Amino acid sequence: MDELELLKQQWQTREQTLPHLSFDDIYKMLLKKSSSIVKWIFYISIAEIIFWSLLSFLLPESNTKFTDDIGLHTFLIAANVLNYLVFGFFIFLFYRNYRKISTTDSIKELMTNILRTRKTVKYFVIYNVANSALLIIGSNFYYYLNQDMVFRVMTEDYGIRNVSQVQFMNLFFLIQILFGIVIIGLVLLFYRVVYGILLRRLHKNYKDLEKIEV
Amino acid sequence: MNKELEHRFVALLQENQNIVHKICRLYTNDSDAHNDLFQEITIQLWRAYPKFRGDSKFSTWMYRVALNTAITLYRKSKRSIKTQDFEGVSFKISSEPYDDSTEQQLKLMYSAVKDLNDIDKALVFLYLEDKNYREISETLGITEVNARVKMNRIKEKLRTNLNP
Repeated sequence: MDELELLKQQWQTREQTLPHLSFDDIYKMLLKKSSSIVKWIFYISIAEIIFWSLLSFLLPESNTKFTDDIGLHTFLIAANVLNYLVFGFFIFLFYRNYRKISTTDSIKELMTNILRTRKTVKYFVIYNVANSALLIIGSNFYYYLNQDMVFRVMTEDYGIRNVSQVQFMNLFFLIQILFGIVIIGLVLLFYRVVYGILLRRLHKNYKDLEKIEV
Repeated sequence: MNKELEHRFVALLQENQNIVHKICRLYTNDSDAHNDLFQEITIQLWRAYPKFRGDSKFSTWMYRVALNTAITLYRKSKRSIKTQDFEGVSFKISSEPYDDSTEQQLKLMYSAVKDLNDIDKALVFLYLEDKNYREISETLGITEVNARVKMNRIKEKLRTNLNP
């Protein structure tokens, strides 16, 4: 007889040597906390949303004087309002997807729903990274066109002396570019590491399941 | 939480705990990981329990939540080393005389099943539990035809693995 059929037969007729837990053993387990990946994804996603929200709250405030003097006030307010609308939309999507995750769905539905939740947050992060990059590039372009004004405002506001305008502007743009690259690089690295670890197995299983349908 | 509900749930789970143990044994390699997974499945079952309407059998409903937990939600701890736990696969041999080579064959088959990927293992597990293809396909979320085709491929694969 085929070995699998033999195993099946034995599987049913004989009990494997399985552990047996008492009522109390199981009862105690109800009080323990879950350590499922959904919980981790939820916490990390919330942390991400808070991080980016705080960042966009704090950063523009810290150098308002400079941006006001340079004439970007109205533009930044408009950008912020738009930003919060988009944030609100993402948070709504994330919450709706999270609510959909249910262990009583089929294996495929459950995986799809988890990955969808994750995707929402991924798009949120991409939006933020792109937004930051655009803002950095855009404002630097503006600074580049208005170098005289930037130099004047900076030297007045921060009391910088003994530097020629060319030297100062070169340094200024260099710092802006390096800062931008470092921040965006760190963010991307963080996502690769965190979600690589958390979702590797889920991605693999999802692919295996999809292969069956081909 | 409602005490009566808790008691009813624990009693049902205790009665059907073998299903969960069998899944834990297939998806983990040592007793620590086994207990971890059992615990996580219990928590997930308990969370989902208010949604259990009783229109299907408790055990049928359990398969879904337990497999979902084992395959998707459970995070394997790093300390679990990949060892073939032969002790764990021994089958209780009752009074009737039993052939040693058959026992050996069973163990080899079991470890071949254990080496399958998470998804294939779920399919084989449901097959061993004598679930029909409709139930298997609904639990996995694939079509019945695909479940059947896949199961035949797995059988083929297991056969070649065992008799190269």
